Amino acid sequence: MLEVASSGLSPERSTELAARFADTLFSAERRAAWLERFFTTPSGRAKPDRYWKIDLDALDLRAVEPVPDAGTSSVSGPRHDGVIACSFEDAVRMHGDLLRRAIERDAAFDRFGALARAFARTGIFIHAAAGVELDEPFVVAHTATGRGAFFPATVIVLEAGARISVIERLAASQDGAFVCALGSSLLGEGASLESVALQELPADARCFVSRAAFPGRSARLHVSEAHLGAGLAVATTAVALEEPGAHAEVDLLLFPHRSQHVDAVTRIDHRCGETTSRTQVRSAAAGEARARYVGTIAIVPGAQRSDAGLRDDALVLSPRAHIESVPALEIGANDVRAYHGAAIGALDEEMLFYATSRGIPRDDAERMIALGFFEPLIERIAFDEIRDELRRAVAERVG
Amino acid sequence: MSDLGLRITDLHVAVEGNPILNGIDLVVEPGRVHALMGPNGSGKSTLAFALAGHPRYTVTRGSATLDGEDLLALTPDKRARAGLFLSFQYPAAIPGVKVANFLHAARQAVHPGDLPPAAFRKMLMEKMEILEMDPAFLGRYVNDGFSGGEKKRLEMLQLAVLAPRYAILDETDSGLDIDALRAVGAAIAALRASNEGKNTGFLVITHYPRILQYVVPDAVHVMIDGRLATSGGAELAHRIEREGYDTIREELAARA
Repeated sequence: MLEVASSGLSPERSTELAARFADTLFSAERRAAWLERFFTTPSGRAKPDRYWKIDLDALDLRAVEPVPDAGTSSVSGPRHDGVIACSFEDAVRMHGDLLRRAIERDAAFDRFGALARAFARTGIFIHAAAGVELDEPFVVAHTATGRGAFFPATVIVLEAGARISVIERLAASQDGAFVCALGSSLLGEGASLESVALQELPADARCFVSRAAFPGRSARLHVSEAHLGAGLAVATTAVALEEPGAHAEVDLLLFPHRSQHVDAVTRIDHRCGETTSRTQVRSAAAGEARARYVGTIAIVPGAQRSDAGLRDDALVLSPRAHIESVPALEIGANDVRAYHGAAIGALDEEMLFYATSRGIPRDDAERMIALGFFEPLIERIAFDEIRDELRRAVAERVG
Repeated sequence: MSDLGLRITDLHVAVEGNPILNGIDLVVEPGRVHALMGPNGSGKSTLAFALAGHPRYTVTRGSATLDGEDLLALTPDKRARAGLFLSFQYPAAIPGVKVANFLHAARQAVHPGDLPPAAFRKMLMEKMEILEMDPAFLGRYVNDGFSGGEKKRLEMLQLAVLAPRYAILDETDSGLDIDALRAVGAAIAALRASNEGKNTGFLVITHYPRILQYVVPDAVHVMIDGRLATSGGAELAHRIEREGYDTIREELAARA
């Protein structure tokens, strides 16, 4: 008798799993279609090599069992008549179409984004009406709690002129978590979103995060994303600039240690002229950790007077750690400003000598310089407590 | 006590296998100012780096002691804690590390726990005023994006904050305009007039005698080709200003 796999994430179980998650948000068919995309489309990520040991197209998914209540999502923050901040369950009743539209909209195809969409059911929806401006941030927490794989999502929709900030935390209270998260932000004309995302999963977790953002005309987006957790962290942040004046700043902080692997991609698409973007990446690796980063800026033909910058700095803190960085510009228009720069190195001996010549012991000098390496990005985060938290986390890792 | 001073004896230094210093003998006594002059490439900065313990500079022979302590046996941080300070000609930038934090860490390392934070802050402000530095400096990253003059001022601020027993100033005057030079001179004078710094011995490395108008030397030494060619009083600096190094070179050749 033929034995059929009864657990795990496999193409044979697509129908069954899609049905398990089907709800008023998305039908089983819609979910199955995303699952099929996940199973049939390559990740586009580089294959394993001497340094990178994990094949993102051949992940062992036998123990990954998607269940709808594998975790919790919560939101807290300022109360305002013009703001809705609630669970998907509540949002689907009042704003089903908007929520669906936000989840379906993809800035750049990402295999894990398709997986996250297929099982998107637990999540937080934040909607700010036109002109609402709030200084106090919303805090979104997604926590994997159950034995199954967890697929949380954060959807933010800002109407014209709205200005809010959001802190998102991704964590787990169980061992061996598998988390596949989705982020989607739609910004109306002149809207402004300040967002910080902290991935702080346990070291035995596998984590996949796909974010897409669409700042509208004259809208401003600033995303700061830090990946300190998970044994394997795979992140894609894609921004599509489709209207004049749209502005995006993407800051990415990666710091794996021990045997952590982190693979990050950013993609900024200038699909319209007079749009601006700044991408800044700082990655450090300690122990036997691996980090790899591919950053793309794409300016389509006709997107004249686009202005894009990408800066990627990497710091290798141990002889057995490895960091790879590939910045890429795809430029189709002629009247644009675009630059990229990358630097990879160990701790600079001249800096170390300078600091030690002031009496600072070498270990302290190393810690000071490594902390300083991240400081320009940490300093850009708008919230004191998050800045301090990141400084502490980085300091702990530097040792 | 006879072992007081920064005492350099028969010092030979090589950089990546190439001998640069070929036997230097020099004693900087507490509270005294020695000027070390010499043409480009004569080895002045090599002496400074070797004494501070830069890993690229290898001492192949000789000794250096600081008030009796064997300097060469110490790591660079321990040399600084023993009381040595080097003002760099080209100080390194440390992005992400704020001047205030760096100065505090250095002061704590060299003089552990001697000043509560408020007193430290007050001291910083006083020293910065002498150096005509804007307090906003403290919030900037160490030497990151600093102009040449700003870097030298920060070196002098560190000198003032650390109040070392012996200070080596490596071409602190190069690239400074007259106002900056005056501020540097004032900072050194203030340190020498203070309780903490009245016994500080100085080794002032320079190309040009102009800094010596502000820090009057007790002795002047001229280095040529990795050796001290001649020594004298402040008048030697004036002679070099008039004649350059050629006549000293010629005398050296005649002696040989």
